[in-house]
Amino acid sequence: MLWALPAIVIIWVSAFLLFPGFVHPMSPTMSAEEVAAFYRDETARIRYSMILFNWFGVGLIPTVILLAMQVRRMAHRTPILSYCLIACAGGPPTLFLIANMFWLLGSFRPERAPELTQLLNDLAWVTFTVLVPYLVAQCLVLALAIYWDRQDEPVFRTWVAHFNLLIAVALAPAAFGAVAFTGPFAWDGVLSYWVKNIAIAVWIVVMGVVLGQTIRRRRVETTVAA
Amino acid sequence: MINSTADTSSEPEVPPDTRLGRFLWNCRYHPKRELWFAWWVMVVFYQLYGVLFFLVTRVQPPPSPAWDTPMIVQWFDDRHHGLLAGFGIVFLISGMCAPMNALLAYSMRRMSVSRVFAYSYLIMYSLSAIPGMLVMAIAMTVGALRPDRDPELIRWLYDFAFLSFSGTMGVFLVGSVVWLVAILLDKNNVFPKWFAYLGLCNALTEVVVAPAWIFQRGAFAWNGAIAWWINMVVFVTYTAVFIVLLRRMIEREDFGTGPLPDLPDKDETVPAGSVGALR
Repeated sequence: MLWALPAIVIIWVSAFLLFPGFVHPMSPTMSAEEVAAFYRDETARIRYSMILFNWFGVGLIPTVILLAMQVRRMAHRTPILSYCLIACAGGPPTLFLIANMFWLLGSFRPERAPELTQLLNDLAWVTFTVLVPYLVAQCLVLALAIYWDRQDEPVFRTWVAHFNLLIAVALAPAAFGAVAFTGPFAWDGVLSYWVKNIAIAVWIVVMGVVLGQTIRRRRVETTVAA
Repeated sequence: MINSTADTSSEPEVPPDTRLGRFLWNCRYHPKRELWFAWWVMVVFYQLYGVLFFLVTRVQPPPSPAWDTPMIVQWFDDRHHGLLAGFGIVFLISGMCAPMNALLAYSMRRMSVSRVFAYSYLIMYSLSAIPGMLVMAIAMTVGALRPDRDPELIRWLYDFAFLSFSGTMGVFLVGSVVWLVAILLDKNNVFPKWFAYLGLCNALTEVVVAPAWIFQRGAFAWNGAIAWWINMVVFVTYTAVFIVLLRRMIEREDFGTGPLPDLPDKDETVPAGSVGALR
């Protein structure tokens, strides 16, 4: 399952670069006419990038389930924390797919009334920006699980827990992405856009490597034991 | 229950005497720390939920679906900052549903029934927060975002928000039924059987709310006496009862697989590391 992760990352990065509204994120201050013009001029790139995202947006779920399985091996007395991760796994992709659908709808009939295109664009950007709750919860739960994993050979090292706390903090401001049109909290701002999305990317890469090492170590152990 | 192995030996056997010391000891070493963690997250979540929906965003009790468009626009204008900031907090904290649903799933795991119940409930209720709460929050946020938006579009967002909130029924309906069937089949006495019938009442609220998709006035509208007020009373009772019952379940938990033992009398209970200390 983990081998799929690099492929997913490459597809996500290409789709990210292909979508014309991401590299220079669209501003919430754009007027309805500007938004409509954007959808008219960039129809093809919006469609293709969002179709790519629609195909592979759920790609993170196997990784979260792999994490839940590692948590299951920890020195806990109940499966509650791995249940928490399973409960979080579907949330972000589902919210992302809702946003994705609004972007695709916006580009489906770009000639519709500008107010309607703006509405679809607002729904897409708000949903995309505020999709953090499950990601925050999943980082916090994972950190807690690691702190509680008190055994001689813990499943993950303690720094992984600190790292997850840091990512949770970095993701949190994006929840307030709709309170302002300008500044760091705006949906194209430093905190709500750049910090959040870079944090997600860093989390995927780091946790992918950590998971890979853990699974390999585990495999060596079982081979030796056998 | 699964990994009862290998807590290293360095842990102190007895909690320290000060209040804070005892709290920290409980957080780190208490044998039921995972259960209490999930229980407290659930309690805090419901408190915040009440405050955010009733006081900060003031979207509950709901306004009428029969209002004309200028009144709806006025309603959004009155709440502009409350909606944007309040739902910001909702977006931040709604991940707290995960430990809560994990605890409810664990209650089924502790029963003598198949694991199908726990996993089905976990997935259904994890899914339910999206149409039942977050979509509403997103629609409200977008509604408040641009007060100068075409009023008809604001009205559409208003309908979208309240109908997704009240009108998301199946996940709660079937989810409650899964839990209550598990309780009725259970031989481990995790919950008293009467609670299953309260669960049935909660499931029925999701049935009687269906006409909210049809009526704009009267008892069945989304703000009506049946579709909102009675349902809210049942839901609050149900929630309060299961919070108390889950607390008792955790107190009784022995990490075995047989019937949950009953609590000893109040006077004999050992306070070490129970809720009092966690506070």
